[in-house]
Amino acid sequence: MFTRILIANRGEIALRVLRACRVLGISPVVAYSEADRDTRAVQLADEAICVGPAESRRSYLSAASIISAALVTGCDAIHPGYGFLSEDDTFAEMTRAHGLTFIGPPPEVLERFASKAGTRELLAKHGLPTIPGSHGMLRDDPHALAEAERIGYPVLIKPSAGGGGRGMRMVRTARELQQAITICRSEARAAFGDDSLYLEKWLEDNRHVEVQVIVDKHGNGIHVGERDCSVQRRHQKIVEEAPSPAIDDTQRLALAEMAIKAAVAAGYENVGTLEFLVDGDGKAYFIEINCRIQVEHPVTEMLSGMDLVAEQIRIAAGERLSVRQADVRLTGHAIELRINAEDTAHEFRPQAGVVERYLAPGGPGVRMDSHLYSGYEVPPFYDSLLGKLVVWGPDRPTAIERARAALDELVVEGLVTNVPFHKALLESQPFLDGAFTTNLLDRVGAAAFLASTAG
Amino acid sequence: MTDRPTTPAVATTGALTRLADEILPALIARLDVSDLGELEVRHDGWRVRLRRSLEPRAVQAAGSAGTGHAAAPEAPRGATSPAVGYHLPNERTPVGTKVASGDVLGWVEVLGVRQEVVSPRDGVVGRSLAEAGQAVEYGQELVVIDGARRAPEPVPVPDVALSTPAVD
Repeated sequence: MFTRILIANRGEIALRVLRACRVLGISPVVAYSEADRDTRAVQLADEAICVGPAESRRSYLSAASIISAALVTGCDAIHPGYGFLSEDDTFAEMTRAHGLTFIGPPPEVLERFASKAGTRELLAKHGLPTIPGSHGMLRDDPHALAEAERIGYPVLIKPSAGGGGRGMRMVRTARELQQAITICRSEARAAFGDDSLYLEKWLEDNRHVEVQVIVDKHGNGIHVGERDCSVQRRHQKIVEEAPSPAIDDTQRLALAEMAIKAAVAAGYENVGTLEFLVDGDGKAYFIEINCRIQVEHPVTEMLSGMDLVAEQIRIAAGERLSVRQADVRLTGHAIELRINAEDTAHEFRPQAGVVERYLAPGGPGVRMDSHLYSGYEVPPFYDSLLGKLVVWGPDRPTAIERARAALDELVVEGLVTNVPFHKALLESQPFLDGAFTTNLLDRVGAAAFLASTAG
Repeated sequence: MTDRPTTPAVATTGALTRLADEILPALIARLDVSDLGELEVRHDGWRVRLRRSLEPRAVQAAGSAGTGHAAAPEAPRGATSPAVGYHLPNERTPVGTKVASGDVLGWVEVLGVRQEVVSPRDGVVGRSLAEAGQAVEYGQELVVIDGARRAPEPVPVPDVALSTPAVD
């Protein structure tokens, strides 16, 4: 087991990893940028080390700085959290070359699953159904048009190197495709340094359902059930819950078993998430794998009672999985609300500034994962996630009741948050019916959605 | 720019004008030709303090009330670390060396690659704040640069011909 871990991230996930370290008796060291000197994780760490300026390219994304920080503080492993360097195979390789352990999949595994198109092909071979899409990358416009014709409109243009829904565009006609493809290419080149694009059939009213898997270095794998992340805005998740209201128990089990079987067979290792789109008939299509701990992992922790981050650290150190599949018991219902510093009423515009007052909610089944404190200043350089309100109940209606009560208790003063959105969501018919689809918010528009539930 | 009188009195407009137009320019000129970092004049309850800014030539005037204190903590005045790594001082710039802005005072080794520690301004190399081989973080002050701004205590200058502002 490790003795000292460098946490190469910020915000709530830095704090989450730090807590896992404490439970495991590992000394946590936090790497931070100049803009994050006053964060909670820095305050609670055994040691904190400034790795660069606010600009993440020169701090949280600087592989050399992060590894150097781990070396000078005597760490034996690096936890990358999510985002930043968490799925960077070059960074994982560099980490290993310096005698440190990357807490995540080994570099070979990251490399194998780096390309989305390649991953779909690989996992399709291991039995996962995939969405009809283009064969390989789009070479040129005629190729794109021919492929779109074959698949059938509407189609989704996706950058191979993208993530988190960035750079994707849905088109309904050949004309739209021709216009969008040029924009997508330049956007992908600017954002990811790679302008490879591919096409996928657009499933009109789909649900996003993902399966949590854990595979140790000894080839043992378990699934920890699924999560439903259908409440999205422009492909960004806002609310996640489990179990998914979109599928029944038979479908649920079949999906999870299919996912873990394919992941193990394809050589996946560490914690990971296999994402699926589920159509109106409950049919699931594999879309991508996330080779990291995810933002929404607490949903699964609430159902399973497991500490996924601690388990991730243990298996990265070479230990065997602490539980067998038969020991995984998923009970009740959990909902996670992402509390963001953004103005829902104005196109979810991100906010920065001082949190004048912060009070976390509590009570049975209520968990607040947040790095906030009264007086904390949210810097303008990073994402707008302020925390995650996670509630558990023996059933979905109870979980929703607890979520409402917890939201009423939550106090974040000083900057605009998306709490009003969550309050509206918890009263909205599609959500109460468990019928939310991934495109619902974008189709209705956030402002109209808020207005529709106001009365 | 200037102080409130320490006695509960109010300066006249004429006195303020005179201070701004005559006295301050004279003080600035004196500070400018000196090696002093800071200059303070007290007279009849008035206190005027001048301090050099980071730019070598410019001079900043700062006044503070008798009970007041110079504002927020200042940014490091010396050379800072460009990265997280191990500190290697430059043997060719020992304490006392006159340096110009941009001169290399040492390096920080990041995974075997050296990044330069440079002097942020003209001055004289002061004491080292990190030993050779010591682990340092980004932005950490490594070498003090004396001269210009480095004057820990305000130095009273009694011979300045500062006429008393009229205090009623």
